[in-house]
Amino acid sequence: MNNRESLKADIPATSVAAERPTNVLIVGVGGQGVIMVSKVLASLSQELGYQVKQSEVHGMAKRGGAVFSHVRFGSSVFSPTILEGDADILVALEWAEGLRWLPYLNQESGTFITDTQHIIPPFACRDRGRGAVSGYTRETVPEVMDSVTNSFALDAAEIATELGVPKASNTVLLGALSTALEFPVAAWKSVISKFVPSKTIEANTRAFDAGREWALSFDRETQLKDWTDRTKQDPEKTTDSSADVVSTLEITEAWCKGCDICVKFCPERCLAMDARQIAILTHPDRCTGCRICEWLCPDLAITVHTSKNNIST
Amino acid sequence: MMSDVAQNQFNIKEYIRQDLFPHFMCPGCGHGIALRALLNAVHDLDIDKNKLAVVSGIGCSGRVGAYIDANTFHTTHGRPLAFATGLKLARPDLEVIVITGDGDCLAIGGNHMIHACRRNLNLTCLMLNNEVYGMTGGQVSPTTSMDRFTTTTQYGNYEPVFDACKLAEGAGAGFIGREMTLQTPALRDLIKEAISHQGFSFVEVLSDCTEVFGRKNDLGESAEMVLAQKAGYRSDSYGTVVDEPFKPRGMQTGVLLRTERPEYAATYQQHNAEKLKQ
Repeated sequence: MNNRESLKADIPATSVAAERPTNVLIVGVGGQGVIMVSKVLASLSQELGYQVKQSEVHGMAKRGGAVFSHVRFGSSVFSPTILEGDADILVALEWAEGLRWLPYLNQESGTFITDTQHIIPPFACRDRGRGAVSGYTRETVPEVMDSVTNSFALDAAEIATELGVPKASNTVLLGALSTALEFPVAAWKSVISKFVPSKTIEANTRAFDAGREWALSFDRETQLKDWTDRTKQDPEKTTDSSADVVSTLEITEAWCKGCDICVKFCPERCLAMDARQIAILTHPDRCTGCRICEWLCPDLAITVHTSKNNIST
Repeated sequence: MMSDVAQNQFNIKEYIRQDLFPHFMCPGCGHGIALRALLNAVHDLDIDKNKLAVVSGIGCSGRVGAYIDANTFHTTHGRPLAFATGLKLARPDLEVIVITGDGDCLAIGGNHMIHACRRNLNLTCLMLNNEVYGMTGGQVSPTTSMDRFTTTTQYGNYEPVFDACKLAEGAGAGFIGREMTLQTPALRDLIKEAISHQGFSFVEVLSDCTEVFGRKNDLGESAEMVLAQKAGYRSDSYGTVVDEPFKPRGMQTGVLLRTERPEYAATYQQHNAEKLKQ
């Protein structure tokens, strides 16, 4: 192909004809479709006559855990796994997973394609009090784009949602990936249609086109500026004054019939039944004001008052 | 200095007759949860308490209405919808909400229910379905699940269950929804939509009878029964697609039907005006 399309970066598209196999690492969170992306890529390169080896970790979908898949293809491939610092392309379906696997990317010529979607795992939210900060990564898109030469950060989830198919964000990333490899577009689409439910072929084709279009019209400077602007707005969002919000629990003892629902449902275990079989707040400091007790109290005995402490503002 | 975060925070005490509390319902009864969801919906829609009329029938559900600090009518068994129809036609400016139970609405008041659906008058009917006649001692009701024990089905119930929402659909209700008390915020939002709908809105609330039905069937304590609404959600878990919506007792929840049919009161008044002119 003389007129080959490539990502508008300094480095030309990865050449698959080279003697060394092409290494593509696909990472994400269980349930996003990491395996689907890798299967499409593996099947496509196999159809085009390359030797393919793929290795994956799966079964995490139910847990929202980390999933990765190595795809290696070329004229001859021996090992199914990619060495650290040896991946030519790293496709991340989730922001933090992408950053976690960055060391696997070839630091000089590697291409990093990532979704900016944040999936915050429960263990990053160990402190559930008001205003608590989660343990999720704080790196911003401009910071990463500055440190990784060939990095493409797109909000695939947003693009897919705009198309009306929020689940197809992995196909959007496939579209972006397709510009980094010199495979014909028609072949991509025919393979994708084999791996998605028949009802969603049309939607996934649209998602693929959208992702491809995004990558073809990629302009580093505009993107960088755009993301810097977005990040600038964020501090206002993150300095949410929720830390100053105080929740107080009002229990009308005379109304409580001791059904135990609030005690058993409280996620912070801050309620208990006293000797009279009346609910009492034993750990006011743990209360996050989630209102589950208020909602489920059949006796209407619990009211959560949230108020703002004005002194600190 | 402390001040409320939300300017207009919902405080249930402004909407209930506090002198009647604690209410008569048993510990863990789901009707109290439904009452809160209803009052929160009324608060969110900013309905004036003087313009709110709550009509209720007989049974545990009938007593729920009496605790609301608004215009409330405690009517005869099975007839709240008939009373409400008259009330709404005479005073179309009122927001009329009917609270009824499974026995009240589907057994004794079954005929009134289907005709209210047929007319499509702008009413909101909240059917609190706890599968049993709780107040009278736990007799079998039209919605008692198969094989459940009640005082009148000592060897287990063998009558098929009534699907109230399908009945309402067949009779022509304009808006039909179903939600369980466990998902209180969702229930509140559903009631808000039902009240906003122009036409007859039927909402089935899956509630729990802990003391009578739960005890007889060994369904556990109050908290376990409430949680069981969700556990029943996925009885065939792993058998179906993961993304299939959760279904309590094998039933669909949320807004089940929304159709635009002519509202009865408007048609009635127009018809009367035309006839009087002649």
